[in-house]
Formats: sequence, structure tokens, C-alpha cells
Amino acid sequence: MDSFSIKTDNLRKSFDKTTALDGVSFDFSAGLLHGLIGSDGAGKTTIMRLLAGLLKPSAGGINYCRDGKPAAFSELRPSLAYMPQQASLYPDLSIDEHLDFFRELYRLDAAVYARRSAELLEITRLEKFRRRRAGQLSGGMYKKLGLMCALLQSPSVLLLDEPTNGVDPISRREFWELLYALVADKILIIVSTAYMDEAERCARVHLLDSGRLLASGEPRAVLKETGAVNFEEIFIKKGARI
Amino acid sequence: MHILRDPFTLALALGLPVMLVTFFGYAIDFEVKDIKIAVSDRDLGPAARRLKEIFSTSGYFSLVPQAAVSGPVEMLDSGRASAALFIEPDFSKKLKGGGKAEVQFVLDGSDNSKAAAVMGYLPGIQRAAMAKLAVQAAPEPFSAETRFLYNSELNSRWFTVPGLAAIIIGLLAILLTALTVAREWENGSMELLLSTPVRPLEIMAGKLAPYGILVLAGVFFVYLVSRLVFGVPFAGSHMLYLAACLLFITAALSQGLVISVITRQQQVAMQLGMITGLLPSMLLSGFIFPVESMPKFFQYLTMLLPPRWFMAAARGITLKGADLGELAVPFLALGLLSAGMLALALVKFKTDLEP
Repeated sequence: MDSFSIKTDNLRKSFDKTTALDGVSFDFSAGLLHGLIGSDGAGKTTIMRLLAGLLKPSAGGINYCRDGKPAAFSELRPSLAYMPQQASLYPDLSIDEHLDFFRELYRLDAAVYARRSAELLEITRLEKFRRRRAGQLSGGMYKKLGLMCALLQSPSVLLLDEPTNGVDPISRREFWELLYALVADKILIIVSTAYMDEAERCARVHLLDSGRLLASGEPRAVLKETGAVNFEEIFIKKGARI
Repeated sequence: MHILRDPFTLALALGLPVMLVTFFGYAIDFEVKDIKIAVSDRDLGPAARRLKEIFSTSGYFSLVPQAAVSGPVEMLDSGRASAALFIEPDFSKKLKGGGKAEVQFVLDGSDNSKAAAVMGYLPGIQRAAMAKLAVQAAPEPFSAETRFLYNSELNSRWFTVPGLAAIIIGLLAILLTALTVAREWENGSMELLLSTPVRPLEIMAGKLAPYGILVLAGVFFVYLVSRLVFGVPFAGSHMLYLAACLLFITAALSQGLVISVITRQQQVAMQLGMITGLLPSMLLSGFIFPVESMPKFFQYLTMLLPPRWFMAAARGITLKGADLGELAVPFLALGLLSAGMLALALVKFKTDLEP
């Protein structure tokens, strides 16, 4: 599998009067689980959409690399999976129907699809609910279904926008366990979250506030560097609102 | 306060009455004017000339210059005239001699409201003509006979039902399409779809095809009911009718798509769909009110509306049995408008989430 990394260079994005991103430079190195930590309105979703090619930067650039060599977005696109923050599945389709729909979207062949969907249903433990409609799933199951749809094509880059938002603590832990299982596959995962306790679960964290990058690096290193006990403290120290 | 924060609803609440007043006040004139009348004057005498003058100065009729090749009936067939006046060869002579002169009117019965209006004007004009043409004090210098072509009994169902397909297409295709794609935007699935390798064209086709089929089924249902239950005749080619339907459906689906791409919200899409889809189909297409009696500005405006051309084609095919040659103008217009609308939809269809 190709390993991709993404760097952004002084990335800016503004809408009408508001500036969502005010010159941020990220280094999303390959094969790691990156956490994009910030409160609501920090610019997390804007970054995700920019990385997924759904928005165009107002200034600055996004550089994609494949196996260390610069690559165009079009090379990455087929192996990119994105799970939006907003509920975006079809409430009247069942889990099975969703998987089938995404099989067609990604043009997977039957054998690959059969193996992959069985695998995903097993690790998400949604096997029993295959015929249930998405609209009737619990919050946690719904997010897992979203993740399944994203993972169906075995992506090299996975963008998850607040996948655990509004999910109960136990389901959240389950979801993170699923993500850990993926890290073993050496794919680039970028997860955004407003839950500070989830920052420690990531290999790299990027703390974002009001469109600016506060700190970034390994969780422990970041804490040490700033002399803070936990991530909340960093946000408070740097004069940011939570 | 809430309504002030929602400029679209406010604009709609204030704008719609103004628009409706304009429509009903100007465009929709229940009084039918400027009826195109073709004259076959086989008399060419002074009395016939006077008779034609009376028609053209009445304000209700305008004489269509007679082409050498086509007779009045051909002009009715192609829709270039909606009434025809036949003056017999020795009209002037008979009048002079005090004999019983005769004229004959043939009206296009495929447009019910127009034919009914003409029927109302004729006696008055006839009386005026008689008063002017009476050489001696003969009580009735000539008699007039009126016939209807295509719909001899002036059955209003025959007239309404073929046009109904336009309303159904206008409603289903425009409104449903506008809603479905706006729904995708609203519930976020468009964001997910756009992030997959699926091409925008495929999303569009996937969204439009089911509705295209649904609408076609609706038209077929109307056709069955109108034939079996109401006994509406179908004089022309079914294939031609299908072609007209497909062209109009393409235009309507594209229009729905443009609306939903611009609005991205179901509620707004629905309102815009109603205004730009259903209202023109009902009011400005000639479904109820003849286009010819609208003011010039509205007549030109309706030229931009696919339902007007579809209505012309549908009535021509079903009631008159017109062929493609006779319906070249509606078909060409319909084709151009569909292509234009489709192009607009393709250009407007966004592949990103930029506002």
C-alpha cells in the first residue's frame, strides 16, 4: 500500500467576513494517527474539507506526498476516505444497503467486497444489525457505520471529522479501539475532536484555536514543552477560550 | 424578528403577491385578442374587402397574410392561424342582387378557450358587417356558418387533458428534482458523495434517472386515463409525442437541478420550484390562457419557457395530428431550451463545498 503524507504551508481560508483558518502549517506524517484538537469553531472541519479537496484554500498550499515524493491530489483521491462530521448517511437505507451503495461508488469487485464487508461487520460488531436502517441506529452505531463505509475501499488516507462527537463514553472507547486496529495497517489517519482526553490517544496532536495552530507534536512532548499537566491547560495558558 | 432574519421568506412574502398581480393583471387577459384569422377570399369583390376590413378593425382579429402555397386549413394545421374565414366566389354579386350570400368560419377547436371567445365575438361582428354591407334594407344580407376543426364538439376535456402532461412534468420533474438534490445537500450526504471518486456527472445521472422514469410513468398514466376514461382522441404520432415529452422532461429535470444546486435547502428549493416550475406551466404556457392574447412583453417572455412550446407541440400532435414539419418551431425551441438548461445545470453543479 502507498504511504501518503500531507503538509500544509501557511494555509488560509476565509468565508465572506470570517476567517476560518489564519495561516496554519501542519505536518501530517505518514502512517500515524493524528489528532486535530480544538474547541467548536476552531477550524477543524474547514481543514478536513480542504484536505479532502472539498474546499479551495484562500491562500497557502497543501502538499501531498506519496512515498516521500510530491504527488498531485488526483493521485491520492482514489484512496482517500472522508467521514463528515454531519450525519451524512441515508436514514432510510439499511447497513447492508449502505455497504452495497458504497461498493458501487468505489467500484469494488465482488470478491474484495465480500471479504472486506464481512471483516468490517465483525470488527464493528454490527453483524446483528445488518438489516436495520441507519435512521434507527444509535449514535455510536451510526458513527461505526460511517466508518465502515469509509473503510470499505481500504483507504491509504482516512479523514474523520469529529467521529466521536455526541457518542457515549463506552462507544467512544470502542471507536478508538477500531482506530488503533487501523494504525497497524500503516495508513494516515487524521481525526478531529473537541474532547481533550482523546488527544492522548493520538500519535501526534495538533492543537488548534480560532484558526491558529497553538502547538503540535507527540502528546507527551507537547505537554512537556508547555509545562502543562493536561491539554485543557495549554488552551487556557495560551489565552484561548474553550 | 425571525422573519427578518430569513430574507428569502420575506422576499417571497412580499414578492409573490406583486408577481401574481402582475401575472393576473397583465399577462392573463381573459379577453382574447389578436386572433389570427386566415381568409380565403374567392370573391375579391368590394363587399368581401369591406368584410375583411371589419374584421381587422374590430381589434379582436388580425388578418394573416395569405401565403400563396398554403390554404387557410393548412395554416390552421400548423398553428399559424386559429380561425379561417371562407368567402364564397360570388359573395359581392349575391349581396348586390339581394340574394343569400354565405360565408363560413372555421375555428381551431384544439384551443378551447380561444374558440369559445371567438364564438362570443362573431355575432357582434356579424351584426356590424350586416349593417355596413346592407345595400338595400334586406334584413339579413348574408348568413354565416361556423364549424370547428379538430374538436368539433368543443369538448373542453379534449383541450385540457393533452396539456395536463405539461403540468405533471412541471410539477414532478422540477419540484421533485429540486427537492431531492437539495435534500442531499441538507442532510450532508452530498459532502460524502463528493469526497468519493464518483464523478459529478454520475451523481447527476443517478439523481435524475429515477425521476425521469417516474415522470414518464406519470405521463403514460395520464395518457391511459385520458384515452380510456375520457375518450380523448390521439390524432398524431405517438413517437413524436414521446420525443416532445422527453425533451421537455430533460429541460424540467435540468431546471430542478439548477434550483437545488443554487439553493441547497429543501424549503427554498420547493418555493423556487413552485414559482419557476409550476406557475409558468399553469399560467404562462397557454394551458388555460392563450398566449396570443397576452401583452407583447409576456408573449416574448413565454418564448423562454419550455412548457409553452411543449403545450403547443402536445396539442398539435394529439388533437391536430400535426407532423414534425408543422411543429418544427416548437420542437426546435424545446430542443434549444433543454440543451441550454442542461448546460446550465452542468456548469452550476458544484464539485466542492464552496459557498
